[in-house]
Amino acid sequence: MQVALDSELAFYRQMVDSINDYEVVRLDETGTVRTWHEGAERLYGYQAREIVGRPMSVVYTEDEIRDGRPGFDMRTAAENGQCVTEGYRVRKDGSQFWASVTLTPIRGAGGTLYGYVRVTRDHTERREQELEMRAVERMLDAITDYEVIRLDADGMIRSWSPGAERLKQYTAEEVIGHHVSMFRLEEDIHNGLPERELASAARIGRLESEGWRLRKDGSRFWASTIVSPINDESGELTGYVSVGRDLSEKRAQEQLVQRQQEEILELSTPVIQVWDKVLVLPIIGTLDSARAARLTEGLLERIAVEQAEVAILDVSGVPAVDTEVAQHLLKTVEAARLMGAVSVLSGVRPETAQAIVHLGIDLGTLRSRSNLKEALQLALTLVGAAPILAAATGV
Amino acid sequence: MRMGDNLIVMLQGDLEDGTVEQVEREVTEEVARTQAKGALIDVSGLSVVDSFVARIISRIAAMIRLLGSEATIVGIQPAVALTLVELGVPLKHVATALNAEQGMARLQGRSRERA
Repeated sequence: MQVALDSELAFYRQMVDSINDYEVVRLDETGTVRTWHEGAERLYGYQAREIVGRPMSVVYTEDEIRDGRPGFDMRTAAENGQCVTEGYRVRKDGSQFWASVTLTPIRGAGGTLYGYVRVTRDHTERREQELEMRAVERMLDAITDYEVIRLDADGMIRSWSPGAERLKQYTAEEVIGHHVSMFRLEEDIHNGLPERELASAARIGRLESEGWRLRKDGSRFWASTIVSPINDESGELTGYVSVGRDLSEKRAQEQLVQRQQEEILELSTPVIQVWDKVLVLPIIGTLDSARAARLTEGLLERIAVEQAEVAILDVSGVPAVDTEVAQHLLKTVEAARLMGAVSVLSGVRPETAQAIVHLGIDLGTLRSRSNLKEALQLALTLVGAAPILAAATGV
Repeated sequence: MRMGDNLIVMLQGDLEDGTVEQVEREVTEEVARTQAKGALIDVSGLSVVDSFVARIISRIAAMIRLLGSEATIVGIQPAVALTLVELGVPLKHVATALNAEQGMARLQGRSRERA
């Protein structure tokens, strides 16, 4: 019987000795270390003769010893049957590592406390990963101008961020587990747009898009979104990360700029009715093709509306007339003539005259006066007497 | 349509090869028959033209002139005017007017000149 027990004990010791990654040691009921082994040595740096017989508190930090942690842990283990803690433990050389420690009481038949088994494991790596992850989480939480959402492979929302909450007004509980299309317009959902976007993000590796998104209160905002697929080591798609941003302000600004440009264009090509059936188009500043086209359209529309018979094109305010602009002016004159209106140029500069003639364009019925005053006199004569007007058409 | 010494020809809707020849025949016959001094071609019903329609307008104007009558095109819309200029359709020597009323006035003015 004794032999069997001894061999059992030897076998047991062998087993414990073969554990390299863990510390598995026995403490007596006062917390004094009673056994030691290779795994424990590797972890704490002590050899058996240096530690057996010393209190277990040796490996606690000074702060914890001051707070009475060793005694507290033992009492907790004795009362609850186990005490699991995580914290820094001190090696022989004074360095520390993040340890997960389990303290389990050993009791005799009558419930008498004989001692404890302490199991320690080095979790430094896991701790670092945890801290890393927490740092990433905190970083994501600090981003409030952008939303960062994680989706699973089916497009279901798996994580939410304060930025997302600020942008879309939903809390995490309200959205996690729902499909990401819950923020989309009905017509987009109807057209299958959200699914198509995810699919192409998975295919291309990244999808950038702009579009309307809905807030919780039903209002919409113009968002820019970048969706990137998340793949595991084997390349299998496991989900997506979606980063979004409110572009409403930028869009509003763009629209404002565009509207202002249109207004400036409008202002820069005014058509003035100076007399019954007489229009004046004072052209000031440089003419580019966009402005020239606008000018022509504006003039022709006004001729139709006012049933104008004479249009005066005052070019005295144009610094330079190149061949392209000259051509455009003559086209305007011809288009006005087709509509039945006579055009009078005024304020043509010497260089402009040269440019127009060098174009070799048939001036036809084109009339010109040196300044606006004389052009106006001619115009009034033209609308004042029909026979002269008929002659003016040159037919 | 006849008005005094003058004719008014209304062009509108879709002009196709078949209808064009018919229009040309009717206009020339009518001008010759009535010995009209002038003819107004009213195109205010056309909001868009292509080169084909533009050539037809030009052709009808030329036919009327050959018959010893004065042709005036009236009611060219702004967009049409722009298209005609861009296409470079030879309408340089065709008289134009804003509307039928003004066109009539111009025709009468010219006929007085001739007289």
